[in-house]
Amino acid sequence: MTPVLTAHVRRFAYDDGPAAVRDVHLALERGALVAVLGASGSGKSTLAKIIAGWALQGGHARFSGTLELAPGPRGAGGRLDFAGGHDDPRLQLGAWGERVAYAPQRAGDLLTGAAASVGEELAFSLEQRGIERGEMRDRVRRGARAVGLEDLLDRHPGRLSGGEQRRLALGCALVERPDVVVLDEPSASLDAAGAEALVELVARLRGGGATVVVFATGVDALVRHADRCLLLDGGTVAAEGTLDDVFASAAFAESGVVPQAREREPGCPMVGAEVPATGVPLAELERVTFAYAPRRSGRSARTVLDGASVAVHAGQVIALTGPNGAGKSTALRHFAGLARPSSGTVRIGGSDIAGVPAGRVAATVGTLFQDPRDQLFERTALREVSFGLGALGLAGEAARSRAFEALDAVGLAQRADVHPYELAASEQRLVALATVLARRPRVLLLDEPTVGLDGRALARLDAAVTGAAQAGSAVVLSTHAIAWARRMSHQVLALDGGRFVGA
Amino acid sequence: MSHQLTVDAPRRSPLRVVLTILGVAAVVATYAFLIVSQPADVVNGPTAASALVALAGFGLAMVLLFVGILPTLPTTTLALIPVALVLNIVLGQFVGSTLVPIYLDSIGTVLVGFLAGPSAGAATGLLSNLVWSFFNPSVLPFAAGAAAIGALAGVAARLGIVRRFYLVPVAGVVTGFVAAAIAAPIAVIVFGGTATGATGAVIALFRAAGDSLVQSVTTGAFTSDLPDKLVTFSLAAALAYALPRRSTRRFEFVRRHRVLAGAKRSVETADTKAAPAA
Amino acid sequence: MWLAVLAASAGAAAAGRVLGKVAAAASIVVVPFALWAFVIHGLFFPEGRAVLAALGPARVTAEGLAYAGGIVLRTAALVVVMLAFSTWVEVPVLRAALVRRGVPAQLGYVLATALGLASTVAERLERIREAQEARGLIVRQSLGGRFVAARLQVVPLVLQLVDEAGERAAALEARGQALPGRRTSYVDEPDSRAQRTLRWVLATASLAVVLSVVVPAVAGVLGGGR
Repeated sequence: MTPVLTAHVRRFAYDDGPAAVRDVHLALERGALVAVLGASGSGKSTLAKIIAGWALQGGHARFSGTLELAPGPRGAGGRLDFAGGHDDPRLQLGAWGERVAYAPQRAGDLLTGAAASVGEELAFSLEQRGIERGEMRDRVRRGARAVGLEDLLDRHPGRLSGGEQRRLALGCALVERPDVVVLDEPSASLDAAGAEALVELVARLRGGGATVVVFATGVDALVRHADRCLLLDGGTVAAEGTLDDVFASAAFAESGVVPQAREREPGCPMVGAEVPATGVPLAELERVTFAYAPRRSGRSARTVLDGASVAVHAGQVIALTGPNGAGKSTALRHFAGLARPSSGTVRIGGSDIAGVPAGRVAATVGTLFQDPRDQLFERTALREVSFGLGALGLAGEAARSRAFEALDAVGLAQRADVHPYELAASEQRLVALATVLARRPRVLLLDEPTVGLDGRALARLDAAVTGAAQAGSAVVLSTHAIAWARRMSHQVLALDGGRFVGA
Repeated sequence: MSHQLTVDAPRRSPLRVVLTILGVAAVVATYAFLIVSQPADVVNGPTAASALVALAGFGLAMVLLFVGILPTLPTTTLALIPVALVLNIVLGQFVGSTLVPIYLDSIGTVLVGFLAGPSAGAATGLLSNLVWSFFNPSVLPFAAGAAAIGALAGVAARLGIVRRFYLVPVAGVVTGFVAAAIAAPIAVIVFGGTATGATGAVIALFRAAGDSLVQSVTTGAFTSDLPDKLVTFSLAAALAYALPRRSTRRFEFVRRHRVLAGAKRSVETADTKAAPAA
Repeated sequence: MWLAVLAASAGAAAAGRVLGKVAAAASIVVVPFALWAFVIHGLFFPEGRAVLAALGPARVTAEGLAYAGGIVLRTAALVVVMLAFSTWVEVPVLRAALVRRGVPAQLGYVLATALGLASTVAERLERIREAQEARGLIVRQSLGGRFVAARLQVVPLVLQLVDEAGERAAALEARGQALPGRRTSYVDEPDSRAQRTLRWVLATASLAVVLSVVVPAVAGVLGGGR
């Protein structure tokens, strides 16, 4: 059977930079599910963008290799040979994208930003191809149903939750009925239900004859269904074959890819034995109630926390779990003084923080936000980590060495002068973590810290959490990775009906 | 319908070039008319005829420029333009509320001019005034000036001025001069020489001293546009340098004309600085 | 005449159920304009003869007041007509209408995206400020403090927006934005024969008015120049 898409990358680089991917050959058969695994910096995301054609847009790529698409009902196909020179063929991304759909790592990147409703967003590519309105509406409806958004067709895309936005991006990729679907980290930040729905969706796509390529830094539920696997390391293929072949290879152990999560025996957490809860808790929510104000779009006021109480003592690590939208982030924001309870008390270090500006609470509390790009705003990683250290009484050389220390702790000392936006997503999260660690907070808040991290980065994160707990800090983290939460915390709590319950 | 997998290299379409030239010609002709027909006496009230000529002439020019430029812009530029408009509006609104004769309401336009060239800059200026007029229609008649600012920013970048940072304020002042010269007659003819905020105060001051309306408005335009464009150009250049290389290198204009300087060197110093700490 | 235009557009706004919004938006623009018009022309109008009151260099003249009144009315008419349109129009429908008439799709895209982005900017700035507060930033209420905070927030905002725009460019192309050929639209544009006829009549009439004024004016200047 001839493959529907063949990609041969001899060498790919941006501008005059080093090769990001080299000597990779990938042939995709109709109906196959292929997993491409690789740690941060392995060239995984770049390869995804080459196959999707995105990397060739804009004209600053140096690519030598071949892309070949078999003819199909949706287009004639063809073979494109690139030599890395100026007279290379220019890929018509619109035509390529009609048959090879791509959902990028950050779902929002696929959205146009021009649509006022989910339906319009889904319809964008159909509009560009001049599909008549009747057929367009029909396909939009079917696309929305496939990703479970049929009830939200009139919602503004900006008012979707993170998980819904991810499904919308998937819908946008699928609405054209592509032959090949390229998914970069599709399971990141999905809760258990979302991850299950994704596996089902991919099975349906394959049933319809589509080929799916999934790119991931870790072995998740979707990857486990793959019938073929490619392991990337240092921009090239380190192992290839069935899942078992690859998992058994020596390269896999060294690659930094997160192996299949295993449930450890409860009772032997990495952070050490249960710490006696004595004295004044470092961070405490007492009967906190909080509701989001009704939005203009008509979403009604929603009570997120309803008399929630929790206390965290020095040296203790508490993990919060629960489905998307349960209020985990909201609870963390209360500890940081960024959200204020409508009733109830928040105490940090034993004293009520009502009326204390968040900038002052930050002297004790450090927060790692869910989207690291929300907290990166300087020109270099070092300046980024140094930001705000002055307020802690550190100046000049002291601030600089403290910042270096924090960068070193997350393994990024070599990248100190790189623009944070030039870093891989996983490194961006680590820089954000370093900005928090540099402040040596007594209370450490981590919102979904594991998302997008490869094995090496996870090890750094684990060390940071254990280190902080051993140094007597209180740590509160929220996560969907239950196994990781059990391993890293003394107590796992779930938010249910606005209250914390043991999980 | 299926499309070819490859496209030819973009070529200049003669039709679009002619349309763009006609658009520029319409701006120049309208401007010349306004200068020549400038009413010597304002006492008889605002003249509706020249106001209509101004609006019609600049309106026609706007349509021609849109049709000539918009379809030729690469997608990278097209995606940046809304960002520029938002910057214009957000910064313009924030700074415009203070009584300093600095508005920064063209900073996004100038940034596009720097990154994507003169025609993209001109289109951004026009679009900016068009979108802004959704909230404040009184900016619409000044669209020609906004287009000129964007175009001049692009020309400055093309000449390598952004590469030599000390020249950027000079380019800003030159642009401010042109912008003021374009804006003043419009302010007189369409709005009867009324301006709000700091510019209005300057006009009132000179009117109090007995100057004619045209003189006062021209002085007002120059006192606000020169410092404003100086600051705007400098800030836009600073922003362009704050952007990561992977953002700026997307623009063919930046790559081909080497708009930004010194990007290579910072990578080398990164290694030498990081070494002792590691 | 300007009053008639004002009344007509106010009536249209009322029919479109946006009168309140139009009035609010227009007053934000027109009220400062009127104040400054009366300050500039009402107090300082050296050409004025009929002095009503004088205080130092300020002379309130009848001519100045009349001039200011005329200008304000004219501007108010322009502003209200346009705001009545922009407040009433739904951007997706406008986009669909533009596409159907063969206007380059880029125009509608830029309009819709700019307005969409503008509505999210406040939220983004809020998130950036929170992240900075979480790193110990305390925003002072003084003017200087606000400027420092603005500079700190604007740079990350620009970084975010420009970076996203770069990725979005690839997404737009992959989804067919640059393809040649006809476009259709998902959103329906309500239209009727009567509306179409009325549009043509109005467009022709405006063109005639403009030409009847512009042609003699231009001819006069050209003739006078010789």
